[in-house]
Amino acid sequence: MHSAAWRISVWGTLAYACGTMLVFLFLHQFVAADIQRRSDAWLSGEVEVLADVAERTPKNALYGRVVGEIAELASKEVPNKVRGESTASDDSVFVLQIGAPGALQLWVGAGNAEPYLRAIQKSSIVPERPTDLRVEGISIPFRVASVRIDDGSHIYLGLSERDEMRVLNNLQLRFILVWLLLVLLGFAIVFYTTRRMLRHVREISEAASRIGHSDLKARVPTSARNDEVGQLAGTLNTMLDRIESSMHQLHTITDSLAHDLRSPLTAIRGKLEMSLSAATHGEQAEPIVSAIEELDRLNEFLNVSLDVAEAKADALRLSRSSIDLDELLHVMIDLYEPSMSERGLTIRLHSAGALVIDADSALIHRMIANLFDNELKHLPSACTVTLHLQTQDDTALLSLEDDGPGFAPEVSAHVFERRVKGKESHGHGLGLAFVDAVVRAHGGVATASNGPNGGARITLSLPLATARVM
Amino acid sequence: MRLLLVEDERDIQTFLRRSLEEAGYQVDVASDGKTAERLAHDATYDVLIVDLGLPDMDGISLILRLRRIGIDAPVLILSARRSVDDRVRGLEQGGDDYLTKPFALAELLARLRNLVKRNGPAGSEATKLRVLDLELDLLRREAIRSGELLQLTPQEFVLLEYLCRNAGRVVTRSMILDKVWGMRIQPDTNVVDVHIYRLRGKVDGKGQQPMIRTLRGVGYVLKDR
Repeated sequence: MHSAAWRISVWGTLAYACGTMLVFLFLHQFVAADIQRRSDAWLSGEVEVLADVAERTPKNALYGRVVGEIAELASKEVPNKVRGESTASDDSVFVLQIGAPGALQLWVGAGNAEPYLRAIQKSSIVPERPTDLRVEGISIPFRVASVRIDDGSHIYLGLSERDEMRVLNNLQLRFILVWLLLVLLGFAIVFYTTRRMLRHVREISEAASRIGHSDLKARVPTSARNDEVGQLAGTLNTMLDRIESSMHQLHTITDSLAHDLRSPLTAIRGKLEMSLSAATHGEQAEPIVSAIEELDRLNEFLNVSLDVAEAKADALRLSRSSIDLDELLHVMIDLYEPSMSERGLTIRLHSAGALVIDADSALIHRMIANLFDNELKHLPSACTVTLHLQTQDDTALLSLEDDGPGFAPEVSAHVFERRVKGKESHGHGLGLAFVDAVVRAHGGVATASNGPNGGARITLSLPLATARVM
Repeated sequence: MRLLLVEDERDIQTFLRRSLEEAGYQVDVASDGKTAERLAHDATYDVLIVDLGLPDMDGISLILRLRRIGIDAPVLILSARRSVDDRVRGLEQGGDDYLTKPFALAELLARLRNLVKRNGPAGSEATKLRVLDLELDLLRREAIRSGELLQLTPQEFVLLEYLCRNAGRVVTRSMILDKVWGMRIQPDTNVVDVHIYRLRGKVDGKGQQPMIRTLRGVGYVLKDR
């Protein structure tokens, strides 16, 4: 779930949600201010009218009724009123007149005037400017405008903000619904498109890694569109073309080198063999025999050199088949055991049973022969070679450990390099370089070190057959 | 036994022709694909040796063309290439064989013999092999020399059986590795020799005529006379 498409969608949606939220907040602010402005205008107008009426009306018994009528009338035209409720409410408007000493002169409104009076006296309402007023026992505040009339009293006209808030709440609810819908839709679109785009990228990278493992002839899939992803595929393919051509170049060089050297070697060997069969005396045969042996060694050296050279360039050609390493080691030990015991060496195998890898059998055979030859040539007598074969996750782990003197300190850091060999060694110094090359060509790792008892330890890990299928 | 050798290197041609003739083959030589096709068309050969790197065409193409015109004699492919082509493997599964250059003559001759035998009439498989006073019972996996049972390990028996089947002929170390252990490797130690010494110790007892002979630089031979 932590794919790039998922992350991009989450971040993209977050940015988008914040943006739309800001727009909505701005709109809300604007609408709220507008509603406020309209009710304030109404309040100021009405309170002027009330003041005017209050001034002209004589202060007799009828005064309260006249001003009350006017207030009643005004309350019918309250702005922002929700339709259909005009008859029920008359707690939405009140008129209050306070005389100079602070005594209640007139009260038009629902319920008792006391809490209103107290609220007004506590607050500091300035004439000509509508202000919010909270009245005890009523949850919704009032908007109150006041005016001072000539007799020193104040008239307060209050309008409940209930309708205004209802409009705003309604608006908010709708905003939130639309916002959620937009965010979800945005997320879906972003997720879908990035996933589609990134699926293409994933296909490309999968194809590219497959190509790295198997043959270089395949190419990553390209799309018809010439977007960034299409260009990536194109660039990769161009790169693969170049790699393939330089690989091909390398193969051509090593092949023709091998061919050009092997043809004369074949002719020389043939001629030597013919003169050997003609030679009757031992002393005549001896130089011919040693020439043939030298020639065979030269040929093997040529093979290994070219293999190592190709493997260093990751260009070793493999023809894979299933190999049971356990079985192969048993056969190899069977082959090498007499030579080892002849030299006073012991070889032991600890194996957990059949273990199949998908590898080039000729190379693996030669590699193991190389390891065994190496032990045979370098170990002093009375030593023991111990082999461990086991699986670890998706790899076959083969370790080969002896209780000999180990790698000399001057070579131990680079035993897998070409031409590196101990002072006492008579080999051509390619043995372990070849082992490393073969292991690497199969996607494995070879390590060499001196074990805790001072002997040499070589560990090879090779991918199991099942790990390669994927 | 008539054989067609298709090889462009003059030096290899010369010594191969000579040794093949010495081994009793009647040899025709072609230096390129065209000539080979013409010769194969005109005459009937029991076996062919084809080098992969011919000047005018690829050796495998030549073999496939010959197959198409109905020539199905077995082919021994000679290759100086580094890797064994998948097409060569295909041919190998189809009954042909390959040998990488440089090779030992003994191995070339052994492979030729096998090719011809494989494609000839299948004789009934013997259950016993007899060479001089050495007798191998292939069913009971026992070897007896001069009436005395030899104490052989299973592997030593396989090795001795291989020598007996090729009695009187030279077998090389790489042939032994290939046939007895099933691997084409070239160890630079004397692993095969040690096996042979041990076997010799058991087969050629005291006072007996030695049967297993070492031909230095070539290989081994089990004497049959």
